[in-house]
Amino acid sequence: MNEAGILVSSLPLAPLLAPLAAGLLCLLPARRHLRVGAALIATLLTCIFSALLVAATADGSVLVSQLGGWQAPFGIVLTADRLSAYMSLLGGIVGLFTVWMMAVSPDPVREKYHAFALTLFLITGVELSFLTGDLFNLFVAFEVMLVASYALSVLGSTREQLREGFRYIVMNLAASSLLVVTCGLTYGVLGTLNYAHLAQRSLELGPTPSVAVLGVLLMIVFAAKGALFPLGFWLPGTYPALPQATSAFFAAILTKVGVYALIRILTTVFQLDSSLPQQFLLILGAFSMLFGALGALSQREWRRVLSFTVMGSVGYLAFGLGIGTPEALRAALMYVAVSVLSTLALFLIAAVAERVSGTSLTRNRRGFIEHLPLLAACFLLCALTASGTPPTAGFIGKYALIRAGILQGSPLAWVAVVSALLASLITLYAMLTVWRDFFWGKANRQQPLFPVSLSQRLPAYTASALVLGLPFIAGPLFAHAQATMLELRDQQHYIRSVLGKDPVVIPEPPTGTDVQKKEAPKSAPQEGESH
Amino acid sequence: MSSLFAIIIGILIAAGVFLLLSRTIVRVVIGLSFISYGIHLLILTVAGLNQSSPPLLTLPGPYADPLPQSLILTSIVIGFATTALLLTVALRAYQVAGHHDVEAFGDNLARGAHGKGERADPEHQSPDAPEWTENVSELRASTSVPPISTPGEQP
Repeated sequence: MNEAGILVSSLPLAPLLAPLAAGLLCLLPARRHLRVGAALIATLLTCIFSALLVAATADGSVLVSQLGGWQAPFGIVLTADRLSAYMSLLGGIVGLFTVWMMAVSPDPVREKYHAFALTLFLITGVELSFLTGDLFNLFVAFEVMLVASYALSVLGSTREQLREGFRYIVMNLAASSLLVVTCGLTYGVLGTLNYAHLAQRSLELGPTPSVAVLGVLLMIVFAAKGALFPLGFWLPGTYPALPQATSAFFAAILTKVGVYALIRILTTVFQLDSSLPQQFLLILGAFSMLFGALGALSQREWRRVLSFTVMGSVGYLAFGLGIGTPEALRAALMYVAVSVLSTLALFLIAAVAERVSGTSLTRNRRGFIEHLPLLAACFLLCALTASGTPPTAGFIGKYALIRAGILQGSPLAWVAVVSALLASLITLYAMLTVWRDFFWGKANRQQPLFPVSLSQRLPAYTASALVLGLPFIAGPLFAHAQATMLELRDQQHYIRSVLGKDPVVIPEPPTGTDVQKKEAPKSAPQEGESH
Repeated sequence: MSSLFAIIIGILIAAGVFLLLSRTIVRVVIGLSFISYGIHLLILTVAGLNQSSPPLLTLPGPYADPLPQSLILTSIVIGFATTALLLTVALRAYQVAGHHDVEAFGDNLARGAHGKGERADPEHQSPDAPEWTENVSELRASTSVPPISTPGEQP
């Protein structure tokens, strides 16, 4: 292989090695600005490498990096196709904003206990789960990500953090156990764990009940990680207990990792047996959308309202995946970007709002539009995006989702469509309640105001600018989603790219007699010497 | 052989789930450990139990599949780390809540909609009334940086 080939094939490793290296560097005792610099550079590099991956996979090629030089089904591979590269870029962007927010809001105690290093390890885990091509390695990636998130969720040891963190850890450990069980059962049924090889073998088998059961088990695991309705009870309590910058990362990306894994399993890996898990997903999605919207309506604290809208947005993605038609998959892929960026922007806005009012409540504090008109505008934009009102990108994504649902036309899809429309309306009402309570009206002069510097407000403004830009790139985004959808549905392309054109030859298990014959002359004199 | 293993796995996981549903923190941790033991045995069983296949290349015979064993090894290492972390969190939570019952943690989502001190569901107070009123005053008074106690100092 020539040098350029080696560089291209090792590109899928780059987005996770950069934060890993910087995370290790951040463990060294150093001044704060050195750590901040390392973290910022690493996340910026992650973004650049992910963007390179998006560019490299834009022509439909699948980059494969074989770890340790072992051939695909026998060793662990990192693969980057359009979907992985796209999610990896979104993860990199959110990571950059999180580190930026952490850099401008010093927190001496948490930083003393390595908040920067843990955040970078978290980003490593997220990128690894997007780029891995192996089911068991996905479990390892989840654990890397979750162990960092467990530590971040209890770092600081406030009461609320410990209480919610304990719940979060126990829930996720239980879900991880189910993932290990499913990995074991998958290996038992299909004899491999490599995505491409799993896809190949399940294609050879045809639709099989036992493979469908594996699909349902994986669906349950990833629904728990992605916080779909009955399994996501931990989310609205956990995220508001976290520090502001960290909660932005958790809310924007961690649930989407579950969604990514669902897309990967239901399309690339077990496409033939995906109808049963898809029906479950449709039901869970319909409930999650309504649950998220009604939950948002019930809360009166900034990040609690927003945490429920996160659950709602995951519900929309599950709805898109559950419908199962190509149009729905395309719409869901487009909506992932909208959901990630609008959630990020909303949490950064909430961070500024909590700081400036000195409380996490949205009630009884009117008229902030006088002090922070730009923040009010950003919030309105993101609130409209989250609820899906024209002319924002949220409307474009939700329109495509609901149109796909109506076109599919099964009774279950109609129920989900009604639920989606209703949930959008309730979310709009919940967001406008926050807007009316916090920004609108005449300012109360008695309430104290805490100064928030421009550098602390800038991440929120920049993230909102990205949300503002989304409708303008909706065309290219849909074109990319279309290409991704076609690539995901073409399992043979993925299999050929990872495993090569030749059929995989499993060597005969060595019987041991020939090994003994070979080793006998060598070992005999040694035995003689030793005696 | 497999049916014996299946029964053992069933007992281990049932015991784990039973302990997981308990309200005592330490029992939850032990329950999770039991579940992971059950899972390790399950992976071993699924990959095929065969007494006649040795795991070492120096012995004759068709060898045991090494992959499930490496999966179990990885899972044990990860389980070890997460159990240690969970125990640390449990200890810290016990120190902070002053109680080994998860009920003492309380529930923030039960707070009233107006955040003025009333509960969302005043008829169903938890038995040992958690610290939520204190939390609201804390929230009202809190500035940009939430109050933090370092792990070193005792509450």
